[in-house]
Amino acid sequence: MSQSLRPYLTAVRFSLQAALNLSNFSSQEVERHNRPEVEVGNTSAELLLQPMHIARNEHEQVLIEPSVNSVRMSIKVKQADEIEQILVHKFTNFLEQRAENFYVLRRVPVPGYSISFLITNKHTETMITEKLIEFIIDFMEEVDKEISEMKLFLNARARFAAEAYLEQFVY
Amino acid sequence: MEDWRRIDIDAYDPESGRLTVDDLKPPYPHILTLQELQPAIQQLRSYTSSGDFSAAVQLITSEPPYDADEQAKSQYLTGVLEVLTQVRQADIANIIKQLDRKQQDALIKYLYKGMSIPEGQKHGGILLAWFEKLTQVAGVNPIVHYLSDRRTV
Amino acid sequence: MSDIAAQFKLVKGPIYSHCFNQDRSLLAITYDTDCYVYKVFASKQPQLVAVLPDHDKTVTAVDISVHGRIVTCSQDRNAIVWEPLSNGTYKPTLVLLRINRAATTVSWASTGYKFAVGSSARIIAVCYYEQDNDWWVSKHIKKPIKSTINALSWHSNSVLLACGGTDGYARVFSGFIKGLDTKEQVAGSPWGEKFPFGSLVREWYQGAWIHDIQWRSSIDRVAFVAHDGSLTITDYTDDIITADSPEGLPFNSLCWINDHEILAAGFSNHPVLFSEGSKGWEVSKILDRPPKANEKPLLSTGNDDEEGTNFGMSALRKFKELDLKGKVSQQEEKSTHENSITELAPYAESNNNITQVSSVALDGKLVIYQL
Repeated sequence: MSQSLRPYLTAVRFSLQAALNLSNFSSQEVERHNRPEVEVGNTSAELLLQPMHIARNEHEQVLIEPSVNSVRMSIKVKQADEIEQILVHKFTNFLEQRAENFYVLRRVPVPGYSISFLITNKHTETMITEKLIEFIIDFMEEVDKEISEMKLFLNARARFAAEAYLEQFVY
Repeated sequence: MEDWRRIDIDAYDPESGRLTVDDLKPPYPHILTLQELQPAIQQLRSYTSSGDFSAAVQLITSEPPYDADEQAKSQYLTGVLEVLTQVRQADIANIIKQLDRKQQDALIKYLYKGMSIPEGQKHGGILLAWFEKLTQVAGVNPIVHYLSDRRTV
Repeated sequence: MSDIAAQFKLVKGPIYSHCFNQDRSLLAITYDTDCYVYKVFASKQPQLVAVLPDHDKTVTAVDISVHGRIVTCSQDRNAIVWEPLSNGTYKPTLVLLRINRAATTVSWASTGYKFAVGSSARIIAVCYYEQDNDWWVSKHIKKPIKSTINALSWHSNSVLLACGGTDGYARVFSGFIKGLDTKEQVAGSPWGEKFPFGSLVREWYQGAWIHDIQWRSSIDRVAFVAHDGSLTITDYTDDIITADSPEGLPFNSLCWINDHEILAAGFSNHPVLFSEGSKGWEVSKILDRPPKANEKPLLSTGNDDEEGTNFGMSALRKFKELDLKGKVSQQEEKSTHENSITELAPYAESNNNITQVSSVALDGKLVIYQL
C-alpha cells in the first residue's frame, strides 16, 4: 500500500468509529415510523450531526454524514481518465444492483460520489461495529486495485482485438 | 394554493417545537464581520511569513472564530490552511503535543472544514498527516466532540 | 475476569432496558416487541417465567415498582402497566398516555404510585392511577422540551423529575400530583419553594444529545452522560463538573455507586468508574477492559518493502495476509459485552454503597459487574 493511502484510511476509520454510535430512534415526525434520519428531508436539525469530509486529493474523497440512528458514507473513487470513469460506473452499478447482499450498500450514490453506504442502527445492532468498519476500509483498499486491474485487462483485450483485426491487412 | 397536499401543516403549529439549524447555533451577542476579524487574520499572516508556525497554530486553535459570519470564516480558513500546509511533516507531531483538549477540538474542525473545500483538497495529504498525528495523540475523542459541537469554524 | 460476577446470554437480539424487582428475584427485559420476565437464581441461568406480549412495536423501556408492578413502554406510543397476579401471570392495563409518537423511556417514582414516560412527541407524561375509573391517566409536561426525551429519573422525594434528550438540555421538572403527593415530601428542598406540576425547576445546556440522567438524591446532585462522550455532574447551585470518556466513545448509561463515585458505560462495551477527587471527577478504574496485546495495526499494510520484487510471490502474500487478518480477528480480546451497553442498574448494595451493577447490551447479554 502506498504511503499516502494509510493516513487517508486512518482518518476514515477514526471518523467512522466516532460516527457509528447509533441508537434506536423512532421518528419524531411520522407516527409509528422508525426511519434513518439522515435520509429523510429532515425537519429536526438536532438529529443530524456535523458532516465529515475526508479528502486525499480532489479525486479521492469520503463524505460521512452522521445522524442519531444512521450514518451515510459516500466514497469518490479515483477516476483519472474516461476509461476509469466508465469502469467505476460499471463496477459500482454492478454492486448496487446487488445491494441487498451487501446490507449496508445504498442503491444510489449521493450526487458527486461514486458509491454510498447507509449504515443504520439495525446494522450496528446485529453486526460487530469494528468488523463493519473493517469491511468498508477493505472495500476502499480493494476498489482502487480492482479498477486498475480491470483497466489493464481492458487494454490487453483491446490490443489483442486490434491486432487480430489489423492482421488481415498485413501482406 | 396549487399544491395544498404538500403544505407542511406542522410548521404552522407554534407548539410543534421543531428545531432548525439556526436554533442549534449557540446565540452570540455579536456576529463578527470580515472587517472585525481582519486583525486576527493579519496576525496569522505575520506568524506565517516569519515561519513561527507553532505560535500560529496556538493562535488559531485557542481563538477559533466561532462567532464570525460565513465570509469572515472562509477568509480565516484560507489563512489557517496556509499555516497548516506549510508546516513540515516532521514538525507536526511536536506542535500537536503542545495543544490542550480544547485546542485539539478546534484543530479537528479546521481539518474537516479544510478537506471540504477545493483549496484544502489540493493539500489533502498534508491535512491527513495532521489528522493522523492528532489521532495518535488524542484518539477518537476530538472527533466525537466535533460531531456534537454546533460551533463551526 | 474478576470484574465479572456473572454473565448470562438471554436473547438473540438487542436489549434496550432491563429492571430487577425489589428483592432481585425477578428480572424484566425488553426484547423486540415483548417484555420477558425471568426468575433469577444465585448462579444459574435465569428462567423465563412470563412473556408480556401486548405491544406491537419495539419495546423501549421497562421498569418495576416497589410493589412489583411492571410498566413497559414502546414505540407503538403506548405504555402498559402489568399487575402481578397470584398465579404468576400479569394483568395488563393500558395507560392513557395521549401521546402521538413513540414512548422512549419510563420510570417509576420511588413511592410506586406514579411513573413518568418520555416520548418522541416532545412530551413527558406523568401517569398515576385513578381509583374511580380504574385506569391510569396522565398529565403532560410540554414546555420547554424541544426534542425527544431519552432519559428520566425521579428524585427520591417523588416530586422532582430530571430529564434529558436530543435537544441537548438536561432539565429538572416538578412532577407534583395533587392528591397524590404532599408538600412534606419537598419541604426544605434546596431546589426551590413551590413545585406546581410541570414547572421547570432547573435546566442546563449541554449541547450534545443526553443519553442518560440520574439523581443522587441524598446529596441532591444530578449526573448525566451525553453524546460527546462526557459525564456531567451538577447540583442546585449550578456548579457544573464534567469528565471525559477515556476512550472517547459516548456513554449510554450511568449509575451512582456512592456519593463520590459513578459508573458509566456505553459504546465502548465496558464500564468506566469515575471518582470525585480533589481535582474534580476523574476516571479511576476501567472495568473489564480487553487486554491489549500490543497496539493493533491500524491497517493491514501488507508488506510494503517486498512489493514488486517477485510477481509470483503475490499469491503467497495474499494468503499470508488473509491468514494474518484471520489471526488478528481471533486474537482480539473482547470485553464481556460484545456490543454497546444500553443500560446499567444497581444490583447489590451494602452500607449505601453499590457493590454490584447489572448491565444489558445490544448483544442480548446480561452481565453483573463486581466493583
